[in-house]
Amino acid sequence: MQAWYLNENPYPFVPQHVLDGADSVRGSLPNKYCDPKVAADLFEEALDEYLLCDDLGINVVSNEHHAGINCLFGAAPLILGVLARQTRNVRILSLGTLITVRKDPVRIAEEYAMADVMCRGRLEIGFVKSGGSEMASGNANPIGIVDRFWEAIDLILKTLTHREGPFSWEGKYFTHRHVNIWPGPWQQPHPPLWAATGDPTTSAELGRRGIVNVMVFRSIEETLKAWAAYRQARAEAGLPAPGPDRFGHTAFVYTGDTDEEGMTVGSKLLWFLNTGLKSAPQYGKFLPGALKPELAPGLYRTKPRPGQPLAARPAAALMGLTAEQAIAKGLMFAGNPDTVYRQIMEHREKVGPYEHLVLASRSGFMTHDEATRGLRRFSKDVLPRLKEL
Amino acid sequence: MPPLKRLSVAGVELDVLTVGAGPPLVLLHGFGPVGPEAPFVDRLGRHAEIIAPTHPGFGHSTRPPDFDTVYDLVHLYGALLEQLPHERVTLLGLSFGGWLAAELAVACRHRIDKLILVDALGIKVSGPETPDILDVFNTSPAEVRRRAWHDPARSAPDFDEMADDALVAHARSRDALCLYAWHPYMYTPQLRRWLGTIRVPSLVLWGASDGIVTPDYGRAYARLIPGARFELIADAGHHPEIERPDAFVERVVAFLKE
Repeated sequence: MQAWYLNENPYPFVPQHVLDGADSVRGSLPNKYCDPKVAADLFEEALDEYLLCDDLGINVVSNEHHAGINCLFGAAPLILGVLARQTRNVRILSLGTLITVRKDPVRIAEEYAMADVMCRGRLEIGFVKSGGSEMASGNANPIGIVDRFWEAIDLILKTLTHREGPFSWEGKYFTHRHVNIWPGPWQQPHPPLWAATGDPTTSAELGRRGIVNVMVFRSIEETLKAWAAYRQARAEAGLPAPGPDRFGHTAFVYTGDTDEEGMTVGSKLLWFLNTGLKSAPQYGKFLPGALKPELAPGLYRTKPRPGQPLAARPAAALMGLTAEQAIAKGLMFAGNPDTVYRQIMEHREKVGPYEHLVLASRSGFMTHDEATRGLRRFSKDVLPRLKEL
Repeated sequence: MPPLKRLSVAGVELDVLTVGAGPPLVLLHGFGPVGPEAPFVDRLGRHAEIIAPTHPGFGHSTRPPDFDTVYDLVHLYGALLEQLPHERVTLLGLSFGGWLAAELAVACRHRIDKLILVDALGIKVSGPETPDILDVFNTSPAEVRRRAWHDPARSAPDFDEMADDALVAHARSRDALCLYAWHPYMYTPQLRRWLGTIRVPSLVLWGASDGIVTPDYGRAYARLIPGARFELIADAGHHPEIERPDAFVERVVAFLKE
């Protein structure tokens, strides 16, 4: 197994009464509540954690969210550029530039090719469908996301792999008549590809394309369904069965000296779910296209009728979880090194073997010191055992 | 209850409500299709033959693949006007359908003898920092409800009372509206310029309490159409045809008789 470190770089220092009074901590919270000087410290700490990972043999993940306390990395390519230059050893996953929001996939491919060259072939490219408040902050139509997602991927791959001068793309969503990037990527034909989704239909297409399918805070049931769809789609297409290297799981992970320390400090990570996910209904369940129209009775009625299916997006089920509940669902691994290792093994027993574990190991009010201590302990006492698998 | 007719127009299967008798009136709906049970339909049907298509994808209607822009809708209804047995019709557009009606009045003027725009969307009036049209997707549902109706408690749909079927239709309409109108949000940048070419008698009707698009927007709309008359309907929001069906029908019929 390989480990990947993800710090979404949240900004938790907004007064609680402001958060309580806001209908959403993403999309619409005024940035007057974000002190750029504090943000600068947070950027520095996060990047230092990534550099520590470079020494510890933990790969790194850069991501992107907009206009909220959950993530200050509003421009994934910028962070990617820093990581490409400053790390020297580990692999770097961009998970990722919001390809359904950005207007020009060619520009995204150009950024990825540059980053791959700058880090001399250590880049991995992750695709996310996005949604929620990102549609408002990115001015992107929430209807048509899936088709836009695949067309963007097709154009990015064509751009990364085309070597013979300008080509033209006149697709449904994207038009770029003269595509010719310099340089192309270091890795040929292109860097490894990932996508984050728990949607079985999307997972099936990832399977046909052989793209790594990483779960981000998905339950055991959701993971089983998505990965079954992945395997089945490959089988139906006559393709070889996927190895564990095609699957990844993201969890809150904190390794303490003792179980008590692991749980006490690790519980701070749940801020991400309990505070960082608070979102207004227009960015969530009422966002057009977020739920199938057939679920409308459960969505619109304030008094559900008997037998009516519950209409909620997956994120809604995550809010308010305790550490014990999160561990039971495989969303969190916390305790002493033996405990963390055992929890990971138990989770793999339930969902099947996966090669990639993404460690969401700093969030909320967890300090930089706490995060780095947890990472060091993980790399010393857990990671060697995982690498043997 | 009059049945929906299925019309094939330019290869698109279109659900059309046809009701009433009198001079033909093509009615283009707003955020949701017009149902035969709406009180204004029955009352207006005593004075006109209402021909009310459902925009593809709204309600329970089908939408062909790759039919997903206002351009498609305008050309579809242009083809419908050509296909109808009437030489000319009155064109009445509500809200989002008002945008389509204004486009058609510019593009298919030879088929239209009168134009009625009701709380119509479709143009940009104010500067870049003033949204003319409330963002019904990025605004909280409670605020949208408050601003859409003069008296939300009396007039807004009660989702708890609606049948499953009606709620599914409501959700499909919302998704379809988003597909067609997300960007540019509810207007055609070029339409304003061309409104000056409209040459038919035009009435711009507006709910006095409309908080989705204000009466001032309606006045600006009317000023851009040569000879258009602007009228307010009191105690009505964005949907005067639902909140004040009698007043709405009275104004429309008076205009039809002029």
